[in-house]
Amino acid sequence: MHIYLPIAEMSVNIFLFLSMGAAVGFLSGLFGVGGGFLMTPLLIFTGVPSAVAVGTGAAQIVASSVSGALAQYKRNNVDLKLGLVLMAGGVAGAIIGVQMVKILREIGQFDVFVSICYVLFLGVIGTLMMIESLSTIKKKGAGQTLSARRTGQHSWVHGLPFKMRFTRSKLYTSVLPPLAIGAFVGFLVAIMGVGGGFIMVPAMIYLLRVPTNVVVGTSLFQIVFVTATATILQAATNQTVDVVLAFLLMLGGVVGAQFGASAGAKLRGEQLRFLLAAMVLLVCIRFAFDLVAEPRELFSLAKG
Amino acid sequence: MAVRWNMSWRKAAVLSVVVVMAVSGSGGVPATGAATGAEGASPEATPKQKKPALAKPKLPRPESASPIRPAPSVTVPLPSPAAAPGERALPPERIEADVSARSIAVTANFKGSEVVVFGTVDNSRQLSPEAGTYDVVVAVEGGGASAVVRRKSNLGGLWLNTSAATFDRVPSYYAVASTRPLDEIAESDELAKYGIGLENLSLTAAEQTTRSINASELRDFKTALSRLKVREGLYTNDDYGVTFSGRSLFRSTLALPANVPVGQLVARVYLFREGVLLNRFTTRVGLERTGIERFIYEAAHKSSWLYGIFVVIIAVLSGLAASMMFGRVGN
Repeated sequence: MHIYLPIAEMSVNIFLFLSMGAAVGFLSGLFGVGGGFLMTPLLIFTGVPSAVAVGTGAAQIVASSVSGALAQYKRNNVDLKLGLVLMAGGVAGAIIGVQMVKILREIGQFDVFVSICYVLFLGVIGTLMMIESLSTIKKKGAGQTLSARRTGQHSWVHGLPFKMRFTRSKLYTSVLPPLAIGAFVGFLVAIMGVGGGFIMVPAMIYLLRVPTNVVVGTSLFQIVFVTATATILQAATNQTVDVVLAFLLMLGGVVGAQFGASAGAKLRGEQLRFLLAAMVLLVCIRFAFDLVAEPRELFSLAKG
Repeated sequence: MAVRWNMSWRKAAVLSVVVVMAVSGSGGVPATGAATGAEGASPEATPKQKKPALAKPKLPRPESASPIRPAPSVTVPLPSPAAAPGERALPPERIEADVSARSIAVTANFKGSEVVVFGTVDNSRQLSPEAGTYDVVVAVEGGGASAVVRRKSNLGGLWLNTSAATFDRVPSYYAVASTRPLDEIAESDELAKYGIGLENLSLTAAEQTTRSINASELRDFKTALSRLKVREGLYTNDDYGVTFSGRSLFRSTLALPANVPVGQLVARVYLFREGVLLNRFTTRVGLERTGIERFIYEAAHKSSWLYGIFVVIIAVLSGLAASMMFGRVGN
């Protein structure tokens, strides 16, 4: 059964895209990640124009993270003030990112730019995760006990001006780092169609020293609003959000996530991280291959 | 939908047969409707001396100088296309055609469809559908829009778009069907004169492109453009796509892929005999989006801010609905 995607302007098999949504939903439920960095590449690999994949990916992340954010909020795991600062940065970053998408599309370099971004980010993150999970597996095998990493409470980050008190996070710190992190992540949302949790969470833990119990909630809160903003901006500036495609992915995704979450409970954390790292690296290699291998068709066509 | 078109085609075909019979009795007056019109029915095309492009396989081709065409089975003498003065002149052939539907809808499940172009040759001197006296070329063209063709080359190990050519008014769709391969129907310069065939499609480069790119590079870009369009199914060429089903009645079915841009399609029908264009006819068909499809497309392009907000609302609602549904099931 086929459906016509009005913005991607292609006729696709409904079940292929539903199952793609379900597969990514399953993985994101399994690993506890947003899945945008898997969804957008999959869309690109199946022939959806890169810009539409990126714009629609952002819309799909809104759906997949909104209920999680709400649940975290109800459990009082969201630092609203910090979330708003991150969001302010995120919105600014998204505005810049969407304009950059527009310019890159006009000069015909968007596809290659997206590929390079994915190679860089997935390469770095996949490698770090791989190293971390392998060393954890080894240490556990050797019978060593692990303690949560807890480094010093202060660093150069906390010496910056424009200080603000974030009571929920028990932080008194400059607003510049959260603004900058938020802006960077918002920029990534706009140009890569990812939620950016894989940057946001480590940055909050290691750079801002936000207590772990509010990290996930605050980052989800920020992701919902920034991806929503990015979706609206992409739709308004680049007309690259396909609501039919987004709905298919949401539908598959929410179902898949339920099964993924229950399957994830049965696997050990470091094994999950190893699998996720392997998958991230595979996607990275695929993008890298497409960049360096001689394409079968050197010419491409775009609307003028 | 295809069934409905089929029906309408049959109905229309029957009608045009009736029209042909009436018209050929009265001496061949072209009937033109509001949306259709005979174009360039130049009588000077008929007497023009022209050597046939290539010999037809089915019939021994008469020399154009000979006054009597040797008909294989019937003894009725027919004048040659270039009738010498003083001979009894038959009324010139004219072509009339129509399209199976005035408008075609692109709906949410649009998987591509087809458009049937059919018509008749008035005053046909063809003895049977198989005689091959006439060649008919049907060309359906979609409205022009500017397009950019980009070329990748290896730059420091990466394949990047390094050069580009912009073309003005590139037909969004171009399907050509004919009774036999175009190069057998007429000489290439004759085809080029009327812009028939993929090679003769007028692809004019934008000014800034002609200034920055040399002629041979531009030719590469042009061939790439039509190759890419062919690959997308937007440009097609069907060498035996037009068939005669009577002495004068012909039809052709052209595929419309799902990605064909909406807008006016112009169907041009050319009548050739022995490499000479006798007559041509133009008609139009609209391709439009309907239903939720059109609503989405128009909203996304005309009120894009509202559309974006609408998408976010849908995303939020479906995310919440799913968690409520599964939450209840799970607990």
